[in-house]
Order: sequence, then structure tokens, then C-alpha cells
Amino acid sequence: MSYPRTRHPRRAGALLAAALLLTVTACTGDPHQPDTTPVAAQISGPLCAALPAGDEPGNPTYLAGQPVATALQWMPTLTTFEAALRTSGLLPDLEHDGITLLAPSDDAFATKFSDDTWDALMTKDQDKLRTLVKAHLIAGTHTLDELADDGTATTLDGATLTVTRTGDTTRFGDKADAVCGDYQATRARIHIINTVLGPLPTDAGGRDHRG
Amino acid sequence: MRRQRTILIALSTLLAASLTTLATPASAQEAAAEPNQVTNLTVRQADGYATLAWQPVDGATDYQIERTPVDANGTPTGAATIVGIWRPNRQINQESPTFADAGFNPGDRFQWRVRARFDTTEQPYSTPVTGTTTAPWGNPNVAGEQLRTQWETSHAAQYTSDTEEYAYTAAIDELSDRVRVVEIGRTVKDRPINMFVIGYPTPPATPEAVAATSPAAINCNVHGNEPGDREACLIMARQLAFSTDPRVIDLLSHTTVLIVPTINGDGRAANTRGNSTGQDLNRDYSLIRQPETAAYVNMVRQYRPIAGYDGHEYGNSRAGDLPMLPPRHQNVAQPIFDESMDMIEGHMYTKGAEDGWWPCPYGCDGGGSVGLGEETILRNTLGLKNVVNSLLELRSSGGQTRPDEGNTANNRRRKTFSALWTFQQFLDYHRANLPAIKQGRAEAIAFQASNTGRLVFRGSRPIPAHPAPHPGSSPPPIDAPPADLILDNAPCAYRLTEEQYHGARTDGPTGAVTTAAERIADHGWKVIKVGDSYYVPLNQPERGLIPLLLDGQGVENLVDGERIYPTLTGPRTGPLTVTGFACLDDATITGPVTVRSGAALVTTGTTITGPVNASGAAGVMLADTKVTGPVRVSGTTDAISLIDLTVTGPVDLSANRTDNQPLLVGNTVNGPLACAGNTTAPTNLTIDNTVTGPRAGQCATL
Ligand SMILES: [Zn+2]
Repeated sequence: MSYPRTRHPRRAGALLAAALLLTVTACTGDPHQPDTTPVAAQISGPLCAALPAGDEPGNPTYLAGQPVATALQWMPTLTTFEAALRTSGLLPDLEHDGITLLAPSDDAFATKFSDDTWDALMTKDQDKLRTLVKAHLIAGTHTLDELADDGTATTLDGATLTVTRTGDTTRFGDKADAVCGDYQATRARIHIINTVLGPLPTDAGGRDHRG
Repeated sequence: MRRQRTILIALSTLLAASLTTLATPASAQEAAAEPNQVTNLTVRQADGYATLAWQPVDGATDYQIERTPVDANGTPTGAATIVGIWRPNRQINQESPTFADAGFNPGDRFQWRVRARFDTTEQPYSTPVTGTTTAPWGNPNVAGEQLRTQWETSHAAQYTSDTEEYAYTAAIDELSDRVRVVEIGRTVKDRPINMFVIGYPTPPATPEAVAATSPAAINCNVHGNEPGDREACLIMARQLAFSTDPRVIDLLSHTTVLIVPTINGDGRAANTRGNSTGQDLNRDYSLIRQPETAAYVNMVRQYRPIAGYDGHEYGNSRAGDLPMLPPRHQNVAQPIFDESMDMIEGHMYTKGAEDGWWPCPYGCDGGGSVGLGEETILRNTLGLKNVVNSLLELRSSGGQTRPDEGNTANNRRRKTFSALWTFQQFLDYHRANLPAIKQGRAEAIAFQASNTGRLVFRGSRPIPAHPAPHPGSSPPPIDAPPADLILDNAPCAYRLTEEQYHGARTDGPTGAVTTAAERIADHGWKVIKVGDSYYVPLNQPERGLIPLLLDGQGVENLVDGERIYPTLTGPRTGPLTVTGFACLDDATITGPVTVRSGAALVTTGTTITGPVNASGAAGVMLADTKVTGPVRVSGTTDAISLIDLTVTGPVDLSANRTDNQPLLVGNTVNGPLACAGNTTAPTNLTIDNTVTGPRAGQCATL
């Protein structure tokens, strides 16, 4: 892979670099493009208050017009899942077909895996990581209502999840609640959940006390 | 010795602070309209935070800080929210409570109120104060100042990506004469590791010239999943590059600021703690198995920062805003520990109380077993390299004192702007205490090179607890060294075999594992080859670090080197001719000393009456030694180091062929000093020599 050099011998490079920066920030930073937001997106759940809203950069209506990879990068509680999905290499396939993501929050990952375990998954065990990510993906775009109506869902790792609804809360696999659901992205639905799914063991001991 | 100074400074600052408090009420003392109402609430705006200050209420157990968004007319535009809880353990100065409110979108306008609580019973709110918060730094219409990071433009919804960082960095580099961006290395995945070199009106041209300005260095982001400090660094780089504030111009006119925003670019991109091989880089600064840590250590060797900060985030929700910790490893020289403690407890605790931030010792309440003595951690590695420095943690969560951080952007902004405050304070401390830091460093280097005192393979100095409710009332564990990690009788040197020194290793990234020789060179240690053996003497500035890597007892060592003890101690009369490797410790030599071709002389605590002549030697390394008579060294092949000598007579270094810089550090020469025709020019490590005679040639400015 190649990166921009850090030194520019000519003065022209300065203007180019500055212009490039402004261009890049403009296209990632502007949430107000009306033609990319066909519908006002309705999200729901207790964690939604932690995320960009209204006309803030990264608001749900803006994300509805974005590819799923871009949308995930705007969701500040999904930094772990976003990186895992990217590292797993599964993303290119998702972008063509409709997909539903049950995306565990950063807090969910923090209570599931120690830093060391997580780093090992991310750097040394690609197969395990892909299986873990697949346990959070469902073919087709499904709203929370649709998933709850079906009562079960099959994830891309081949597992079958029960989907139950209690009051306003939708629960997957008897343990993971949707905490902010029904984000839309291009050919995708994203539901943030509060527990990591899949068969890997929990070993988060001590993670909280190391800087 | 320097610890005394810490206390004095803290006390004098407290005194100054209380005098200020006494002086201020002249500006309209507000009477409480209701019993137990907070009075005299003021707000002061700074970069990304607002400092609330008020008159304390007798009997209050804590205070709540409320913030309401308002429009230009002061009409609320949103809900009032409790954003802060002030507790007595936040600050050393109980008489003048302050709270740094942060997390809001910079530039927005708010009204604040504060009320006391007696246990859980809420007392009446103060009358409100209103203010417009400080917008992101830099005039949007001025070239350079107008630059913004991705984190700023996305209102903290996104961290600045690698490619955005490179574009932002390149733009600053091009638009500011004060800035040079250098690539200090590459990550395992070949991402550039950049460093801002910032000086006024321009940064010095070479690493050696930068080193001569006693630089301050900030390592912003080693753990990829702790990115808050990095965003502060990027903002501060812009301020330093373009600000016309006299404080900034003064700072940059007197020193050079080194900022490494992303030492772990691969980990940052993947949001992992470690690098792309899973190695925690902050457990690798001594062993430097990875290219990232090797790049940093190499930078330290070349640019020689004398003070540093190392940015992290910390998951203990009971901690203060800003846990900090000095280099505690017991091999760190006392003056470095003391000066680091002074920076944290003398300066940061005092300034924190003025501005409303809450520094505390790393660990803090319920902190567990952190903040210990591993030399693999940058804090300790730097201390062992005689760099005054501190760890900086940003509490990950809002915790119990910042209840409005469920919103991710609020949480991220508070962390980043608290880091920005700390780094700005660090630079102010460095500027104000430059002579003291330099003196501490000079004393430390002289101490280390004298190779006196026991060696500790791992174990910490205690961090004293302060009486509650002081921010320092919950220090980290004692972490004293166990008996089996203490060596009372330090050797003179370690001897390494060819296989140990140059042999292939397996500890590092596949295809890029470095040899012990390369790592020793990165650290900058002098090595002398005599016969088939490589000797690493301990009488050098990093004496505290060398055994941790080269002794078989080292907890995470590089090789099991052979301990070489002194070959000569006590009195000796008559000529001494050195062949092979000679180590003189606590010796008194009366007679001429001659070092033969290919031989090595190492001395500590020694007195020599008679000339010292070395011609074609492999190495000449003298420290804490008195010589009466000329010292003439020529044609040396491997290493020359003269530290803290007293020489009566001329000192002459000529035609030496070492590929590393001869050291001439802190010596007293009663006579002339001449250096000529040396392949590599000598350096004094920015520690002056005292020379009564003329200084000539390559030593003219040492
Ligand atoms: Zn860290």
C-alpha cells in the first residue's frame, strides 16, 4: 500500500495538500446532502442518545444514503465492530447484496474480550475473526419488526438465533438486546446490540484497569 | 535533594494561589440571597473547556454543575443538564473550588449554575453565568489556521484516519515555516511514522541541532484503541505552527517541540491495543523488537528530548480526569524521578486546581496493579534514558463526576481537551523549568556513568500518598523490588559473544527481526570489541537500562551476557600498560597509563597520576575519574567516552575512527581541549565541559 509522502519539495505542493485536505473533509464531513437522503431514517432504542442526531455530522438520515462501510465509520459506539468487519475482509461481499448487521457496541466487546484476546483475534486468527463477524450478519435487509415477527434468524455462520420482543425491546439469541436499531445504509440495516454473539468464550477480566 | 524543591514549589504556589484568592473579592463580593447558596460563580473560557469557579459553602460535601444551552439573548435552547460533580479530592486547593466543564461542542453558548449538596440534600443554585465557549482554534479565513482535523469537522463522531492525518500533517508542514515533518520510521505494515519538529522562527536543521535546544517530546498514541490524546496533539501542532500568541513564540524561541502523533498507525487503523503483530508496544520500548518502538528509541537517541509525555486512556471509572505517573524504576536516577514528580505534583496538581482539571497518580482509587516498574514501558525507558517524563491517562468513561458523557461525542471531547490542557501545561512547565530539568539531567548522567550503587532488575520507587482529600491520596502499589531482582555488586561491563551480538533472532515481526547489535546501536550504547568479544561497559549514561537487557537476571532481557568485574582496584604504583580489556574501579594509579592498539580501558572512581595515552585502542571510556597529566586519545576504533572527569593537563582527541560520536560530557579540564580529524565529531550531550584553556577544532563549542 502507498501513502502520501510527508515532505513536499515544491511550494505548489502546499496548496495541493491544503486543497486535498479541504476536499476530503468536505466529502466525509458534510451531512447536509439532500439528494443522498431519500427518506428520514427512524432509529430507536436507549443507546440512540449517545449517537449523532438531528443535523449533526453522521446523523441517521445522512447515513441512510451511505454505503454500509461508510455508515459504520460514522457510528462512534461501533469502533470495534467496524474495525473487525474491515479486518475480516468480508465487507466487499456485503456491499453488493442486501445485509442486516447485528453490531455489538464497543461496551459489549469490552465486557466480552480482554485486550490481549481481542488483539490476537484481530492480528493472528483470521478464521476465528471471520466466524465471529459472520455470527452478527443476516442475509437480506430486515427491520427489527420483521425479525421479531419471524421469531428466528439465521446468521452467516450458520447459527439460528431466536428473536423475541418484550415491550419495546428486541432480543437476539436470548441474550443480546437491540439498544439502537433500524439504522439504514445502502442495501443494509444496522441494529446495535449490547452483547457479542457467537460461540467464543468470555475473558474480559482486568481489561478495565490498564491504560 | 530535588524532592525538597517539589514541596517548596507546591507550598509557594499554594501561597500565591491563596493570596490571589484574597485579592480577588475586591471585585464585588456577592451576598447569598438564600442560605447555603453558592456565590461569586465565574466562568473562564479556554480550548474546549470552560472553568467554573465559585465561593465554597461551609459544610458542603460536593457541588453539582449545571449547564444549559442558550441563544444570543440568553434564552434556553435545550434542557438544563447536570454535567459535573465537584468533589474535594479533585484539587489540592480546597478554598477555591474549580471545575473544568468540557464535552460540549466548542463555540456553542451556555449558561451555568452551581449548587452545593450536603450529602444528598441539594442547596439553592447560584445565580447563573453565561458565556460563549471558545471555538476550535484558528481563524477560518487565515491560511494554515483554517486547517481542521477529521475529528473536529465530524464533531468527534470520527477519529482522524491515517490518510487524513497525513494530509493534515503535510498541509501544516507546507504552510508553516516553524514546522518540519520528518518520517522517523515505518510500521510493520509500512505506514509512515511522522514527527512534527517545531521551532521558531524555524526548527533547527539537523537532529543534533535540535538536540542542542533541549527539546520536549510528546508520544501521542501508542495503544491504537486509546486515540483521545492523538487528536489533542494534532490540534496542538496547528496552534504551535500558526499561533502568534507571545507564549507560543517564546516557547518555540527557546526550545524545540517534538510531536509523534501516531507511533502505532497499524493498531490505530484496526482499533487494537497492540500493533499488527499483536505486540503491546508499550511493553517493548526496552527490547525494541518492533519497528515502531525501534523508531521511537532511535528518535530519542538522535534528537535527545530532555522531557516527555506519553498519552493513553484508562478504563478505571473511579480515577481522576488525568492520571499521571513518573518513571518509577529504581534504576532511574534520583534527579530524573524528582524532577518528574515536580512536574506532576508541583505543576500539574497546582495548575489543575486553577483550571478545574483533576490530575492524580495513575492507579487511583481502585486502580489495581498498574503503574509499576517495567522498563519495557516508555515512561520507565525514558527515565532510564535520563528524560524527565510522565505517563498521561485520560479516564475513558465519564465516571462518577461527569454524568453527561453517555453521549459519545461529549465523552470524546472531554478526553481530548483534557489532554490538550495537559500537553500545553507540559510545554509551559518545560519552558519555565528548563535550567532545572537540564541540571537534573546532567546530575543523572554523571550518576549513571559513575556506575555506583546497586542494580535493580525490576521494582519501583514509592509514590508517596498525600492525606485525603488530596488528589494524590490513592497512589499506585509500592512495587518494591524482591531480593532476587537486586544486584548489590554491579559489574563493570557485560561481555557478549559473536553469536549473542550478531546472531539471528526470532523475537520480532517475521522477516524483520533485528540483531542484538542493531538494538544496542538504536539505544546508542557504546560497545568495544576486544578479541572475539563485545564489551558493553556500564559507565555510560544509560547504565540503569543496560543490565536489564544484557544480564541473565533481567526479567525481559535480550541476551544472557557475562558479567565482567573490575580487573584492578586499589593503589598501584608504576607504569600500567593495558592489553585486552581492563576495568579500573576505585583504583589509585601512580604512573603513566598506556592503552595498546586493540585494547580497552574503562575506569570509574579512579585517580590516575600520570599521563593517559591511547593510540589505536579499541575503546577508552573514563568516568568519575581524576587524571593528573595529559589525556591523549588517537586512532580509536570503537568507542570513546569521557564523562565527569577532572583532568589537570591537556585533553587531546585526534584521528579517532569511531562511527559513533565520542562523548565529552561534564568534564573539568584544567588545560586546553583539542579535537581534530575525528571521523565522527564529539558531542557533549548538551552538558557543558569546564575548560580553563583554549578549546580547539571539533571541540571548540563543547
Ligand atoms: Zn495505553
